[in-house]
This record gives sequence, C-alpha cells and structure tokens, in this order.
Amino acid sequence: MTSFDYIRQVLIDKYEIEADVITSEATFENLGLDSLTMVELMFDVSEKYGIEIPTDRLDFKTLGEVVVLIDDMLNAQNI
Amino acid sequence: MGQCRVFVTGIGLVSPHGCDDANQIFDKLYCGKSAIDLVCTETLGIKRSSLVAPANFDPVGKIPKTQLLLMDRVSQMALLAANQALENAQLLSNNTKLASTGIYLGCGLGGSQTIENVYHTLFVKKSCAVRPASVPLIMPNASAGHISMYHKLGGPSQTYSVACASSSIAIGEAFRAIRDGYLGRVIAGGTEAMLNFGSMASWDALTVLAKEHPEGAYASCRPFSKDRNGLVLGEGAAMLILESEALVTARNIQPLAEIIGYGASSDSHNLTQPAAEGQVRAMRLALVDAKLDPTAIGYINAHATGTQAGDKIEIEAIKLVFAEHAKRIAISSTKSMHGHLLGAAGALEFAITVMALQKGKIPPTAHLSQPDPDCALDCIPHVGRLSPTLKYALSNSFAFGGSNAVLIAQRV
Repeated sequence: MTSFDYIRQVLIDKYEIEADVITSEATFENLGLDSLTMVELMFDVSEKYGIEIPTDRLDFKTLGEVVVLIDDMLNAQNI
Repeated sequence: MGQCRVFVTGIGLVSPHGCDDANQIFDKLYCGKSAIDLVCTETLGIKRSSLVAPANFDPVGKIPKTQLLLMDRVSQMALLAANQALENAQLLSNNTKLASTGIYLGCGLGGSQTIENVYHTLFVKKSCAVRPASVPLIMPNASAGHISMYHKLGGPSQTYSVACASSSIAIGEAFRAIRDGYLGRVIAGGTEAMLNFGSMASWDALTVLAKEHPEGAYASCRPFSKDRNGLVLGEGAAMLILESEALVTARNIQPLAEIIGYGASSDSHNLTQPAAEGQVRAMRLALVDAKLDPTAIGYINAHATGTQAGDKIEIEAIKLVFAEHAKRIAISSTKSMHGHLLGAAGALEFAITVMALQKGKIPPTAHLSQPDPDCALDCIPHVGRLSPTLKYALSNSFAFGGSNAVLIAQRV
C-alpha cells in the first residue's frame, strides 16, 4: 500500500469522505477538513510509518504535497 | 427588568439505570432498584475491583462519526442526554429554531479518559507522540461545545466546574438567566465520566469509597443507615430543558414542573469536610428566592452520599432550616441506587425531583436497613411512597471545596 493509498483509506474510513473526491490535487479545504483534523491525520500517518513530521513542514495544501513529504521522509530513513 | 416564571419542559438521561426513557429510569428508582455493581479491571498488571454504577450506552449511529472522533466519553453522554431532553420537550420534531437557546452545563473533571490516555503515552509508552486532539477532548467545556455545534445553539455556552455541585449550579444559573429575561430557553444539566483507572485510584486513596456489602455489591451505598461506610461513584449525564413562561405558552405544551428557587453558598471551612452552617445558608437562600415558607416543602432529594460524616451533617442542616417541620418532610438519597455522579449528580437528582413532583411519587433511600439515630428523619427506606399532594420539593448538592447549591421546584 502506497502512502497515498493509506491516507485515502483513512479519509474514507475515519472521516467518511467520498472516495471519488480524494485525489492528489485535492486540498484539505476542498475535502472539508479543518486544521485540527489535518494534524490528527498527520498523527495517524506518523504512527503508521514511525516518522516524526516536523511542525515547520505542516504547511502543505494538497494531498499530493503530503504524500511527497511522507515519501521523502521514508526514503531518508532508508538511506 | 421584570421576572418571568421558568419551567422544566424536557428531561434527557444517560444514567446507570439506562439511557432511553427517563420515565422508565424513574420507575426503577421508585422500586428501589440499585444499578451499583462490582467491576473488576486490570491495567498494567494492576488488578482492581471497584464498586461503581456505570452507564451503558452506544453512541454509534446516534452521533456523526466525524464528531464522535473528537469526543471523550463525557461529551458523548452529554450530547445523547441533550438530544433526549430536546426530544422530550418536543423541540426536535417541530423544526423549532434553537438559534437563541443557551447551554449551561456542569462537569467536574472533563475528558478524564483522554487525560489518562495522554499520561499512558508519556509515562508508559515513553513517547511524546500525544494525540493532537487531546486538549479539545479534555477541556471541561467540550461537552457544551459539542451540544451547541450539533444543535446550532446560538445562545451562551457556559460550563461550571464546581465538583459535586457543578450541575445544580448550572441549572440554578440558567434558571436565573431565564427568570431575569436574558434568555428564553436553556439546555441545562451536567455530565461526568471518570470511572477509569487513574480517577478510581485517586478516589480510593481518599478513603471515602464504600466497601462491598455482604448482601451484595448492589447494596453497598447505604445513606442514612448506621452501617454506611462510603460513597459509590457513578457516571452519566442529565439534561433538562428550561423555558420561560412565554415560550411554554407560545408552544402550548405541558411543562413537567416549575423551578422557583435557587440558593448557593460557601462553607469557607474545609476542602473536603462539609459544614452544616453553609448548607443551612444555601437552603434558606433557596427558600427566600422561592418566596416559600419552609413548611411548604414536602420532599428533599438529599445530597447524602453514604459517608458517616456527610449524611449526619446534612440531616443536622435540614433540622436547623426546617425545625419541627423537618420530621414531616419525606427525605431520600437516590445515590443509594445510582451512585454519586459527581458533576452530573445535581442534574440527575434534580431531574428525579422534577419527576417525583410530576408523578406524585417519592423515590426511596435503598438499603436503609438500620436507620442511624443521628439521621432520624423520614428517610423513605427501601421502596418509594405515593404522595399525590406533593407540591414543593428541594434538591441539595454539596461539593468538595465547600460549595453548596440548592434548587426548589413546584408541581404544575
């Protein structure tokens, strides 16, 4: 499961967001998620992948940007 | 500003005796049925057996999943009780606008399970990865916030944290806000959920909890009985809809009772030991507020928790306020059956008092098998008593910290 697939599944299961609106280009605002929900989602991601996302890198707008951030951190871990 | 009359038009309960129909809950209490049980738990290898009165409820399907994610147990119970109260007051089915309705809520501790979860993460898992939503889950006013969000309430949202008097004070202050013309309708009540490991251990350390009675766990809370040895903690939420006479008339509904008096005082004496003088002041203030002669009171729902000192002092205070009439008042402590709901206790017991007036039926003090000579008033042992002429009733709530609150209601 890619990091995008994981986030997509959390958004569907936990936040009851319709699958067809969850795209790389979708913004948190488009998805109806407030800032608290966004940091809760990042908490779930951190727990899942065992990474600690620095608070100064939480300025993303789209799901695609989140995925890039997670994948970068995971790649850095594997180096 | 003129004063207007204030009525109770709906009741919603999530209680140890159930969470569906307040009338059914009252019937169980009237029969003297206890909801107290012995619950065995194990956390981190530490085993505990606790006498508690838990509230069993399932929020799934009743609260939107996304809202539920951000709710501690304490807020879940509060919202479910508020929903029931609004339904009971016929305010959900008629497209009634709640934009100016207020929420006045009492809560002692807030999201105590979330507090425990945070400390588990930090001190057991030795991780700083604390859930981001912890603060909004813990804050004591979260329950009021969730109720106002869910029902789009636009009026004031107030939370009172005054230990065991929290929700009586919330109801009393809501009563005043309506009586003085600031509001027309308020959802008022209380909620508490602290039957978790850390809270129970803290209460246990205070050495005020009851020991299991040989007859069975259910009989362990014995207010006014000579063999009483402590209180039993319960959990739950109780909400009442308070409305001005103008709204009751406009909606053409039959209220459940009228609130006519509220008194509050401080003992200024000791953090945990009650004092009769402070309790006397609160009861007298409520009677003056209600413009009622003490001899009019027919029933007192006592605060009596089942401790040796507390019950005796409350009886002493009642004797000081009511003099000879004290012997003619029916008195009961329903905590003998539902336990002590702390921040929600006052609201649950006032709801029971309202139903006692409405039905002309006084609930008993269960397990009162050995009346204490120091509590020798008419404390309604074991089963309820029919009282069709009951017109005025009073509900006492006395808190750690020396805070006292008394509410008086009248049959309509």
